[in-house]
Amino acid sequence: MQIIKAVYINEIFKISKKKKITSSLIFLLLSVIVAAIVVYSLNNFAGVSVTGSSEFSVMVLTILSYSLFPLFTAFICIDMFAGEFADHTIKFTLTGPASRLNVFLGKILAIATFIASNLIVVAIFSFLFSLFLNGGISNPLRIIISYIMAFLPIFIFALTVVLISNFSRGTTSAFMFSIFVFLVFVGLSVAFPQIKSFLFTSSFDWYKLILGSYINVGKIFRIFLILLGYGIMLFAAGYYLFEKKDI
Amino acid sequence: MDKAIVIEDLSKIYKNNRGIQSLNLEIERGEIFGFLGPNGAGKTTTMKIMVGLMKADKGDVKINGYSISNDYENAMKDIGCIVENVTPFSYLSAYENMELCGRFHNEVNGTRIDECLEITGLIKYKNEKIKNYSLGMKQRLGIAMAILSKPKIIILDEPFNGLDVEGMVEMRELIINLSKKNKTTFFISSHLIHDIELTCDKVGILYGGKLISVEKTNNILKNYSSLENYYLSEVDLNANY
Repeated sequence: MQIIKAVYINEIFKISKKKKITSSLIFLLLSVIVAAIVVYSLNNFAGVSVTGSSEFSVMVLTILSYSLFPLFTAFICIDMFAGEFADHTIKFTLTGPASRLNVFLGKILAIATFIASNLIVVAIFSFLFSLFLNGGISNPLRIIISYIMAFLPIFIFALTVVLISNFSRGTTSAFMFSIFVFLVFVGLSVAFPQIKSFLFTSSFDWYKLILGSYINVGKIFRIFLILLGYGIMLFAAGYYLFEKKDI
Repeated sequence: MDKAIVIEDLSKIYKNNRGIQSLNLEIERGEIFGFLGPNGAGKTTTMKIMVGLMKADKGDVKINGYSISNDYENAMKDIGCIVENVTPFSYLSAYENMELCGRFHNEVNGTRIDECLEITGLIKYKNEKIKNYSLGMKQRLGIAMAILSKPKIIILDEPFNGLDVEGMVEMRELIINLSKKNKTTFFISSHLIHDIELTCDKVGILYGGKLISVEKTNNILKNYSSLENYYLSEVDLNANY
């Protein structure tokens, strides 16, 4: 456990020292601010009611779940795997007294922390702007649960990028291939709606299932199991490649 | 005597048919072993397998009695190493890079990090980002990292690369001192045969992926004027077969 903790702290430390993190935080904040300004303008000057009292946070979450969250997560995953393989800094971690399983686990936990931090930052700011726009938040618990639920599909996407990073030859190819896979999955869900429920990209907004007046527990459970299945398979495949890789 | 490193029937063949074949070697505790061989002989491959960066096709390496393939964490617990080249994180400072290493060892603290940076002459530059470091400074940092946890075994691939003459002398003295005082075992590969002659107790020559000779430096120097002559004669002998 102490070894995983050391790997995890090291990975978090490295993430925190990257300029990309500051940039991603700034972009996330800017996107929330821009969304708030647009909503405020439409509500007050155009006479169009875009969101209700509880919907601003959900609207921001929906937009970011399909854009900046996966993008920034991909950056971090690629940096942690393909990037470290490319510049050989991975040797630094792998020659420590940590097995590859513990290194892999430590890195995955750090990625999970990064995703959760992004969601928490956006949740806090979108709540604050909701207060400003609507003077209050109705159903705050459901919105908090929405943000918690949004974590899972983004994490599954992260595991996909980790898998890709473990067989790509460089950071650029890993990034391009990750974007390609993302677009193919989104394209498939549009072209073949009958298989949509089996594609994890169509679950990015699965938290909407708890926002209506009727909550379909069965459907939520089914999607959860599908995402869990993706998670187990992607983790196993990513670790297999990581373990077998000669440096 | 107590065996620090045992290499048993180690083989790794690449797609181009190069690599290492059936390597067997034993290094005693406290020994400074020099690993020599021409380019492409398989020195780095051997060292990479020894520290778990590569998987062997056959055979095993035991470090302090622990198998590198079956008990990696215990085997690597008391090892410091530089393999191929030193590649610290360029966006971190030397001190921060050392901290990353130190987190794996409870006994390493800020004082020990400073001590290692002092030994390797980097203390003045400890807060500078690695991207501004020269090759020699990175090499010194690699050595500082390798000795950080006071490991029982240190594996160094081309440790004198990029060092100035003064640096080479300092590193040679450091290696000899650690071996004498702490009984630290060293496994060193280098093309600088003169440094190997001055530093190592025992020398092994790898040629075409096979270990063609292992001999004490003292014995070699009884029969040859220099290690270089011995090396060339061994390589010539094997090249003719």
